[in-house]
Amino acid sequence: MAEVRPDEISAILRKQLSGYESETDIYDVGTVLQVGDGIARVYGLSQVMMSELIEFPNDVFGMVLNLDEDSVGCVLFGESTKIKEGDTVKRTKRVASMPVGDVMLGRVITPLGVPVDGKGAINTDKFLPIERKALGVIQRQPVKEPLQTGIAAIDAMIPIGRGQRELIIGDRQTGKTAVAVDAIINQKYTHTEEAKELGIKPVYCIYVAVGQKSSTVAQVVAKLNEVGAMEYTTVIAATANEPTPLQFIAPYAGATLGEYFRDNGKHSLVVYDDLSKQAVAYRELSLLLRRPPGREAYPGDVFYLHSRLLERASKLSDDLGGGSLTALPIIETQQGDVSAYIPTNVISITDGQIYLESNLFNAGVRPAINVGISVSRVGGNAQIKAMKKVAGSLKLDLAQYRELEAFAKFGSDLDKATQRTLAKGARLVELLKQGQYAPVPVERQVISIYLATNGYLDNIAVSEVKRFEKEVLEYFEVKNNKIFETLKRERQLSDSTIAEIKKVADEFITVFK
Amino acid sequence: MNESKVSTRYANSLLGSASDKGTLDTVAKDMELIYSTIKSSSELSRTLSSPIIKPQLKSSILEEIFSKRISGEAMDFLKFIVEKNREDLLESITSKFLDFRDKKLGIINVKVISAVPMTEAQKKKLKENYEKLLAKKVRFEFTIDPTVIGGFVAKVGDTVYDASLKNQLEILKKRFLKGGASLN
Repeated sequence: MAEVRPDEISAILRKQLSGYESETDIYDVGTVLQVGDGIARVYGLSQVMMSELIEFPNDVFGMVLNLDEDSVGCVLFGESTKIKEGDTVKRTKRVASMPVGDVMLGRVITPLGVPVDGKGAINTDKFLPIERKALGVIQRQPVKEPLQTGIAAIDAMIPIGRGQRELIIGDRQTGKTAVAVDAIINQKYTHTEEAKELGIKPVYCIYVAVGQKSSTVAQVVAKLNEVGAMEYTTVIAATANEPTPLQFIAPYAGATLGEYFRDNGKHSLVVYDDLSKQAVAYRELSLLLRRPPGREAYPGDVFYLHSRLLERASKLSDDLGGGSLTALPIIETQQGDVSAYIPTNVISITDGQIYLESNLFNAGVRPAINVGISVSRVGGNAQIKAMKKVAGSLKLDLAQYRELEAFAKFGSDLDKATQRTLAKGARLVELLKQGQYAPVPVERQVISIYLATNGYLDNIAVSEVKRFEKEVLEYFEVKNNKIFETLKRERQLSDSTIAEIKKVADEFITVFK
Repeated sequence: MNESKVSTRYANSLLGSASDKGTLDTVAKDMELIYSTIKSSSELSRTLSSPIIKPQLKSSILEEIFSKRISGEAMDFLKFIVEKNREDLLESITSKFLDFRDKKLGIINVKVISAVPMTEAQKKKLKENYEKLLAKKVRFEFTIDPTVIGGFVAKVGDTVYDASLKNQLEILKKRFLKGGASLN
């Protein structure tokens, strides 16, 4: 270790001291009347603003949530045991805000922007308030670019566009987080040189963990690091042991960071994992602040809690740079009950939902997406033409399959046409199964779906479908690599491309065993 | 919450009637006396808030204590309050009254805390400066607290003007802790 010379120290001390000028410090104060359960009531602070940060002793910060006649109700972002009655509270004169900037990428932070990954301080002087108003009508434009998740079932039938809000909903242990993490991992492609050449703009990702186990968050971060997705991702963690107020503001902090990218003409994807826990945190705060409870004991403004958050997702008009903020909120249902309060609220706010079902998951259909009831209301405009073309017949075939599936259970003798539909459906379901952390590029998805819907799988056993898909794509790569290139460039299935696909596929069929 | 509304109403009416009659100065002085007496004697405040003691008795107790020291108008007000069964709020009514009077006359209370007693010249200068700064008449309340080390702390309502050595040292400490990164 290098020695530090005394004169060096005194030089530093002198330097630090030289900038120091003694002057009168003017600040507003209040007195703590009551404290407990993460809530403090403060007397004084007569000029304080709504959602302003206030400073308690022992470096504990709070946020004002109630302005009453003769006291101020606030939530604490630190331990309430460090504060006692009669303590002096200082105003900071700034609303709760977080640091933003490109340096936040690759970091794990708390909702107030404090790093928790042990990689040192974050040097940025740009702060934005956590609560910001959503954009108006004039500043927006319809969703038009695709956000590829790399999951064939989603990209084909429930397409997500940049600037959309797509809900991921399902029971516990159905792979909700897995879908979101796969979507983040698949954005790696958008940061490559190749994507830049093709005019695909990079997507910066933000993963907001609300009320989760720290171990789960650590797992996600480790996985993102492993596949190199952390370079363009920020993880905002308000784990289960953090104070409730932090869990409440975490999604807003994520939206603020996403908006920073959006407003600079870039694209961002924010995953809120999950909003049911945020609603629970908000319910706790509201009840402690003595706001009247409503249905399921949630406060009256729990709808606004989520609507103002998700309304911040947007696609900016070209005048404003054309950036976008895509939101993937996650909601956990209890026993598949989507008619509970919070799920219905969020379903009505978002532009569509992806249903994950535990019986599908247990039957081995993974991702366990129920494509029958999952929808995307705006993503269709954003799909590339090639995908739109092949997805149309895929949707139709699967719908017919589902309709007949119930009949097939009776086991009575079925006519040839019905049997054919059933066989095709079973193969399509098999084809849409996909491993975790294994996103598939869109051009490959198009080719496999094209082959499946055009009868190339009909003579393959269901158990062989995945192997067929893998090998046929390898064969394409070896035999006619250009098809992928054309698909990527033209983004549509021209007749000549179809002819080429058919030619290679026919060749492969003869050699496949 | 309700109590403060009640005392506000009583205090406001007294202020109105006293200023109408032009006896505000005397009444204010009397109220100051009553306020400080009740505040200094817990026995008296307990007696006043006790529901067991009869109003007549409370009235005569108050009369005995205050009748020679305060004006007839203030005494009538005391009796009126006892009659209305609001004697338990007497302390808050008087303090509210004094607040309202200050507001009406444009006087502002400033609490000054210093480590050592201030000289008259210092006090005068402080007063001049604060009256200029706040554009109001200033009434000082000086207290001594050695922990401020040097300088002074002035509290005007919720705002603190901190020119104490203690605060300066704390700011310096914070700055050193922040700048600590450059040392390693």
